[in-house]
Amino acid sequence: MSARPTTPASPKNVKIKDPEAGTPVYGCEHVQRMFCQAQDVINTSIQHYKMILRSIFDNNTVVPQTSKAADGQPLTSLTSNYLCLQCPVTLTEEERTKHGKQKSHRFYVDSRSGSLYCQMCDDFVWDPTLEDLRVRKIGTGTFSSRKRKHEEMFSDPVKEDPRYISSNTTTASCRANGLRGIYNAGATCYQNVVLQSFLHNPMMRNFYLSDGHKRENCRQEGEYCLSCAMDDTFQEFYAAESTNGYTAANILSGFWISEKKAFENLVTTKEQDAHEFFQFLAEELHERNGDGKKPEIGSEHSCNCIIHQTFYGKLQSTTTCQHCGGVTNQVQSFLDLSLPLENLAQKKGKKSGAKAPALTLQECLEEEYIKSDKCEYRCHSCNSTQQARRQTSIKRLPNVLSIQLKRFEYKQGRHDKAAKIETQVQFPLQLNMLPYTNRARGQDTKDNYELARSCTYDLLSVIVHVGEIDTGHYVSYCRVGDQWFAFNDHRVELANKSDVLGAKAYLLFYIIRSLA
Amino acid sequence: MSSSTGKAGVIAAPDESTNMDKLAHAVLDDVLYNIVHDLLLKVHRDEKIARAATAAIRVEKLASDASESPEINPDVRIETDAATYEAGKVTLKGNPLKTTKEILCPRCHLPRLLYPTDGKGARKPDPTVIYCKKHPYIEKPGYDIYGQTWVAPGPGRGKKKKDMEKKLGDDSPGMTPTPDSKERPPNVLSFPSATCSKCKRCILVTRLNNHMGSCIGNSGRNASRAAAQKISNGGSNGNSQNNDNTPPSSQKGTPVPGSRAPSPRKRDADEMEDDYEESDPTNPKKKKLKPTALPKKVILKNKGQGPGPKKEKVKANSLLSGELKVSASPKLKNLEVPHKKSTSKIPSPAKKLKLGPQKPQLAAASPMPKANGREVDDVSESSGTLSSPPR
Repeated sequence: MSARPTTPASPKNVKIKDPEAGTPVYGCEHVQRMFCQAQDVINTSIQHYKMILRSIFDNNTVVPQTSKAADGQPLTSLTSNYLCLQCPVTLTEEERTKHGKQKSHRFYVDSRSGSLYCQMCDDFVWDPTLEDLRVRKIGTGTFSSRKRKHEEMFSDPVKEDPRYISSNTTTASCRANGLRGIYNAGATCYQNVVLQSFLHNPMMRNFYLSDGHKRENCRQEGEYCLSCAMDDTFQEFYAAESTNGYTAANILSGFWISEKKAFENLVTTKEQDAHEFFQFLAEELHERNGDGKKPEIGSEHSCNCIIHQTFYGKLQSTTTCQHCGGVTNQVQSFLDLSLPLENLAQKKGKKSGAKAPALTLQECLEEEYIKSDKCEYRCHSCNSTQQARRQTSIKRLPNVLSIQLKRFEYKQGRHDKAAKIETQVQFPLQLNMLPYTNRARGQDTKDNYELARSCTYDLLSVIVHVGEIDTGHYVSYCRVGDQWFAFNDHRVELANKSDVLGAKAYLLFYIIRSLA
Repeated sequence: MSSSTGKAGVIAAPDESTNMDKLAHAVLDDVLYNIVHDLLLKVHRDEKIARAATAAIRVEKLASDASESPEINPDVRIETDAATYEAGKVTLKGNPLKTTKEILCPRCHLPRLLYPTDGKGARKPDPTVIYCKKHPYIEKPGYDIYGQTWVAPGPGRGKKKKDMEKKLGDDSPGMTPTPDSKERPPNVLSFPSATCSKCKRCILVTRLNNHMGSCIGNSGRNASRAAAQKISNGGSNGNSQNNDNTPPSSQKGTPVPGSRAPSPRKRDADEMEDDYEESDPTNPKKKKLKPTALPKKVILKNKGQGPGPKKEKVKANSLLSGELKVSASPKLKNLEVPHKKSTSKIPSPAKKLKLGPQKPQLAAASPMPKANGREVDDVSESSGTLSSPPR
């Protein structure tokens, strides 16, 4: 953001948020007094607030954490400092009170969160106008809302009128919150866990609840459409008041009707792999909503459908010939990242001597997307088969990153038998994917907060398999807001973060923090 | 570094500690302070915004009452202890955390229930108050977040006829509670049935997958028999003996889910008949459908009775009757099993939710999810956590 020219003398007047029904216009009486003054006072106050937010979120955190002690020595604190809104000074909590008395400056910004503190209220104040700026800064990194411009150009002003909306719609009950279990229709827990993770994926939810897939316009006339079934399911979850479990009969029948050859073996009444079902569902929904082309594995596929916009990213493999140094790049789309566990667990076990060492997700990602491996390769310039180094990294990160931990693998050896790997893999609530992208390569990205922010993910849902390889049960955890829920077929329960983080995850879904 | 502790003052180094020890203690103490500070700030934000909104909703309601028309007269000036309505604007008076004690739902304007009704941290709600339907989630072992639990699924295939009849007797009267449903509290649910999209028959949900396998898919008995036959016959075809008498080995080859107890005698019957058994083996088809469809209705009723006087009061409220319809209609789709087609054609009012007040947010994010959908999400989600007690 530092690159953007700041225009303090801009003639453009800053506007206070328009009054909205159900919310006060100002955060407190004192903010009201400040904002009811001349326009230039409003302008400078908001400019200052923006400047402070930039210094907090776009720069090294040490700067706002450092204040000047009385003797002029810089004092860096781990706890919050307060940045005066009216003058460029950073104060400790004790100094703040003194400063307020001396200069009659009443508003301060918390150096760690950017929240506004009002000394007259002696409390934090959540002013709609200023809080909007803060949330936007944290969320997208910018204050501008390009989205709004787009909306104004393309939306129908009549239809956006709240009166039009209220006279043509019925509000869903406050009880309808999307939290319902799904009944197990006989060994279908592998479907239930994937469906729950789709149902609590904000991007999928927004797509379906905003009429992204209209039954009337559905191309599949007469035929069965899995996307229409998803649409019905979203309606049932977010509009119906029922708290009883949901019977996913329409999705199940769509699954039986589907003629996907690649997933033919899935269509049985036996227990199945949730990851395969995830792939099936994603491909099926892509075909119903997308460009109609089948997603090809191993190539680059760009499509604007909801599935591609949500889940698909791109990988780049760079192969360097060890003989002539020639480099070839290959780009391919991915729906999910599959991380092998076994080799790494063995390697780590040998090193540490522990029998069943716990891995971290970052270690697994590092193994796949930072380290390079040797391979045989037919070099064009050498015109012969050569030793080469191959290195894969992420070229484009998806909005929802799905990760499969390969817990089910065929053990090569005497009996080619599939086995389940029970290695514990620790995964974080917040994941920084920057190191695994090709942008991280050969570039100093340490101080690039903007880039780091655009690669930060939050854990959204976790799918866990309990039991043996042949038989077991799937359960899942999904996050709604800040609360985690445990889904076990028709049963929904509250879950602690520690329950979630302690789970032996099989599939992980991370959502991008900022959609900038 | 003379201080032996940080801002929280919880973790203090002993007096004789070295400077490095003191520093380590101070750092840990500060970090602890920050964690608590952040948690507190989050709860504070949710709570204060919700209370400020409550103050605004109250004063707007008074203003709208005073102007005696659906549109609020902007000339009206109303003042409460917490807020002022003037010139079409709501401004706060004092700190909403002090002036406003309860939280009104920003959508239905009814007070939020602030404590769960059962389980951990439960408190008895005031029976005279109509609360918003969004309740704090219940945390109670053996129960789900809505305080529901399930009757243990029957013994499956081995279900005795007696059990079935008893169950039907309980469910068929529908409206009047029977002894059996009295025994069962309203929060104990039974597994529902669903309609097969192909044969339109009503199947208990736990058997739905198996049924669909045989009805839509071709993993049913006949298919696997055919496959087994092909394998056992090898190339030589025309072994008529196999067609008439199924070899016992192929019967065992039928995919059997874990729940099904092996009962060879029943398995000899046709798959179709197995499904009939779910409803009532003696009745003709049409009658069979109804009793199995009804259990849901009973559940529905029971749930309505749960909060007691609440529902009736809500019904009387004209504003909310529309809302009730929304919730009822999608359910009806499932309930009226035989008429499924006709009901599904009627545009469900629930569908209109899509245009609801949330629409700008939702719609905004969908064509261009790259916009700040995340933020929008934050806002709506954080408001959702308001009434839930901190865990």
